[in-house]
Amino acid sequence: MTLLRSRPGTDGERDTAPPALPAARRAPAVWARDLAMGMRFAAGGGREGWIRTALTAAGVALGVAVLLLGASAPTLMNAWHAREKARENLGQAHPPPPGDRTLLYASANTTFHGTAIRGRLVRPDGTRPPVPPGLDHLPGPGRMVVSPALKELLDSPGAGLLRERLGAYRIAGVIGDEGLQGPRELTYLAQSTTLGERDGYRIDHFGKNWEPRPLTAPATVLVIMTCVALLTPVMVFIGTSVRFGNERRERRLAALRLVGADVRTTRRIASGEALFGSLLGLLGGGLLFLAARQLAPAITLWDINVYSADVAPGPVTALLIAVLVPAAAVLVTLVAQRGVTVEPLGVVRHRPPVRRRLWWRLALPVLSALLLVPLVLRHRQPWDDTPVNTFRLAAGSTLLLFGITALLPWLVERVVGRLRGGPVPWQLAVRRLQLNSGPATRAVSGITVAVAGAIAIHMLMTGMQTGYAAAYAKSGQVPRISFWGHTDTWRSTERALAALRATPGVTAAHGTIDLNAGRMPAPGRDLSRDLPAVLTVGSCAELRHLARLPACKDGDVFVTDARPDRDTGITPGATLNLNPPLVYGEPAGRPRPWTVPPAARAARLLPSGDGHPRYYDLLLTPAALDPARYTAPDMQLDVDFDRGTPDAVEHIRNTAARIGPTMYESSSVDNPHDRQLDGVRTALFTGAVITLLLIGAGLIISTVEQLHERRRLLSVLDAHGTRRATLGWSVLWQTALPVALGLALAVTCGLTLGTLLLTIIGTGLAVDWAGIAGITAIGAAVILFVTALSLPPLWRMMRPDGLRTE
Amino acid sequence: MTPEGSLLAAEGLRKAYGPTPALDGADFSIHPGEVVAVMGPSGSGKSTLLHCLAGIIRPDSGTVRYGPHTLTDLSDTHRSALRRTDFGFVFQFGQLVPELTCLENVALPLRLNATRRKAAEHRARDWLERLEVDDVAAKRPGEISGGQGQRVAVARALAPQPRVVFADEPTGALDSLNGERVLTLLTDAARDTSAAVVLVTHEARVAAYADREIVVRDGRVKDMAGRI
Repeated sequence: MTLLRSRPGTDGERDTAPPALPAARRAPAVWARDLAMGMRFAAGGGREGWIRTALTAAGVALGVAVLLLGASAPTLMNAWHAREKARENLGQAHPPPPGDRTLLYASANTTFHGTAIRGRLVRPDGTRPPVPPGLDHLPGPGRMVVSPALKELLDSPGAGLLRERLGAYRIAGVIGDEGLQGPRELTYLAQSTTLGERDGYRIDHFGKNWEPRPLTAPATVLVIMTCVALLTPVMVFIGTSVRFGNERRERRLAALRLVGADVRTTRRIASGEALFGSLLGLLGGGLLFLAARQLAPAITLWDINVYSADVAPGPVTALLIAVLVPAAAVLVTLVAQRGVTVEPLGVVRHRPPVRRRLWWRLALPVLSALLLVPLVLRHRQPWDDTPVNTFRLAAGSTLLLFGITALLPWLVERVVGRLRGGPVPWQLAVRRLQLNSGPATRAVSGITVAVAGAIAIHMLMTGMQTGYAAAYAKSGQVPRISFWGHTDTWRSTERALAALRATPGVTAAHGTIDLNAGRMPAPGRDLSRDLPAVLTVGSCAELRHLARLPACKDGDVFVTDARPDRDTGITPGATLNLNPPLVYGEPAGRPRPWTVPPAARAARLLPSGDGHPRYYDLLLTPAALDPARYTAPDMQLDVDFDRGTPDAVEHIRNTAARIGPTMYESSSVDNPHDRQLDGVRTALFTGAVITLLLIGAGLIISTVEQLHERRRLLSVLDAHGTRRATLGWSVLWQTALPVALGLALAVTCGLTLGTLLLTIIGTGLAVDWAGIAGITAIGAAVILFVTALSLPPLWRMMRPDGLRTE
Repeated sequence: MTPEGSLLAAEGLRKAYGPTPALDGADFSIHPGEVVAVMGPSGSGKSTLLHCLAGIIRPDSGTVRYGPHTLTDLSDTHRSALRRTDFGFVFQFGQLVPELTCLENVALPLRLNATRRKAAEHRARDWLERLEVDDVAAKRPGEISGGQGQRVAVARALAPQPRVVFADEPTGALDSLNGERVLTLLTDAARDTSAAVVLVTHEARVAAYADREIVVRDGRVKDMAGRI
């Protein structure tokens, strides 16, 4: 024995104890080290590494941009509503008395070539009137301030008739952004010297206590389904891109295992590689979002047009997106490594082929059916827009869309499993899919959700608009414009009719004065709850357009059969109140009695031009009632015109503006719904094309990746003399089979979902078969596109280089 | 000139990969039914010679004649057609199509030659029996052993009844017992069908199955004494 301690290995005995493990580092530090190493590999991993990083970044960037844009919707709508709320005040509950700080304010909206123009007239009572946002001061008398878009329109060569219509006012300035709902809004504010008390409202401030209505259930479902349909393909693309170049990455990870890295370390390193792409994608997504929101001013959807600055997500949502999207990409990487163990000498895949079971894949569609079918079964009742129903509708639709992704792999496996025989390319493709249909199905599931979502959204949109569109289409066939506005005497109405009849293109013009009458007060009778009767005043000639009159001369009165089911108390000799409450539920004013002449005769009303019944209770000729006794009389003017006369509609509108700038127009000559529907249809089609191209890119990645992994086999097949066309067709079938099945499932689910939703909200079914055919055709184009782009690498890999081992 | 009676003959083959010469004036000939072992150390150019002889690659210079054809003058399409009809191949590994069953793998060259599926699979089954692997007919390559896989590959090479079988290190990935069994089956079956076999190997015990052996060194061929 010696007192000196020997050094291991120096005293003739080798130290056989295992080397001491280094002190365990703290988990966060280990994670940070491994993730950083992975990020270094991603940055310096050669061409494949960069391609993978670029693809992951592209997918994440798209996902982040879509999410940020979607998350901006609430703030965008709030900003839009807030500007409207701040600038408007069409009537106060308690009108102020005229004073130094009040003004008369009236709506003078108009339409030019189908585009709505918001007009407002003011007439200050004093020297310090309120000023709406976007202005320093009100325009002077006979002047107007306009929005930049309206100024641009007025300056354009085709706007001569609009310049004539607004010719009473000179442009004195431009309304600032805070006074506009959006940059493309067409609006003006003019000071009218002739604006009467009866034409508008007296107000002492701008801004109203008005809260926007929450989104309706169908609109909520539309927004959610759009997000699902857009995001699923993006997630699928990310899932595909992180798998690109797997073979080389696994070899690299195996080399790391050889030098001592454990399995967890390799997984963390792989996650670090994905994280690098994700962070680049996050940055790219942010830039893409900033670029996309610059386009906002150019887009008008459902009459909503906003400024770029309005498109901004809330800070919490933005933070969540910034954290969750890169985390999701890392998660996908870890999931992709399930069942793969990287060993020092290579990769071991220990996932036995598992037969796909149907029962759990049906869980999502079944859950969806449980939510939606009860709503369908009660469809005869009107749709009840409650939060619970909205949730059921949105959740049911989303679950069905997600359910497709679970059903597709099973469907592909079952269908492909039954395929037998066929020529060699078909057999190679079928056998390949039978062996492993996972990568192709994964990529195609994105197409399926996107297409099913697009079809359902399209059906919902078409169904929601069909009612309006049909009504417009029907009424639009009648070339007629109606106006109404304030009047005092029959004489002025006659003048208005004469002016309209003299307008180019007008074939006929008819008009009456409408006013209300109620019952006289009596003990126990609540007049505020009485529905007023409608009295109409017109010459015998005008009244004959409304009813079949026995004989008529000025001074005659006729009692009609308008409402035989209701006791209006209108009989010859009865006393009526000509000052009934104008708004249901409001207290009645001082009664203004008038007795229906005992000589009043009965008249039968004629149906209106569009076949609807009329509701005039009493027809009066002008001499039958002193105009001084009218309460809030309105003239109702119906103008028929010749569609062949150029710009007849705009000429008529100009005449109406001269009769009274606050005349209200009601017509079906412009159908805004058609344009909106066209816009949405185009947007959906564009979205579907972009989505399918994205999926196509994913399919190319997985196909090329698969070819790359099989390059030796391809060389062997080439050595055997296999024709290029044989393998080319095989790639085509291998792509076409899952895509065709996916599209079939998508069309089925999309139509089912669309039908369910339309039945639930009680709207007629409408299927745009041309649209569905278009989307399906794009799917077929994607197959050809993927095949065509896969052929050059396929032929490159069929070279004999793969046979060389030295 | 083709050496008299030879089925396949090469003359003055030169092939370089970049600046590295693989073949430097190699000559070769083989007669019908003959088994020739091509030997040589790693990197000597054995596989390149085989690829040139089979028309898989075109040499930089020199000619390869097969019967009346000058392979080196034929287009890629014609060479591919010739490989489908007249040549068979066995490689060291990675040659079976993983998604096809063994029966379908053996039938594949026949089907590429437009033989109908039933007939192709019937003949493939005969060859699997002959190579003693008919029990794995319905299995995929991933489900069988390496030895069984090589026998399936030999069956596939012989099923179209080729006139020349090219075997590149056919036993390189097998243990000696399996390797010997595969070589016995390959050479016996080839002799039975009068097919010539070009057997590339670097193992002397494999070369023992050949009628004649040549050595490739530095891209040149040296004919060794025959063992007939």
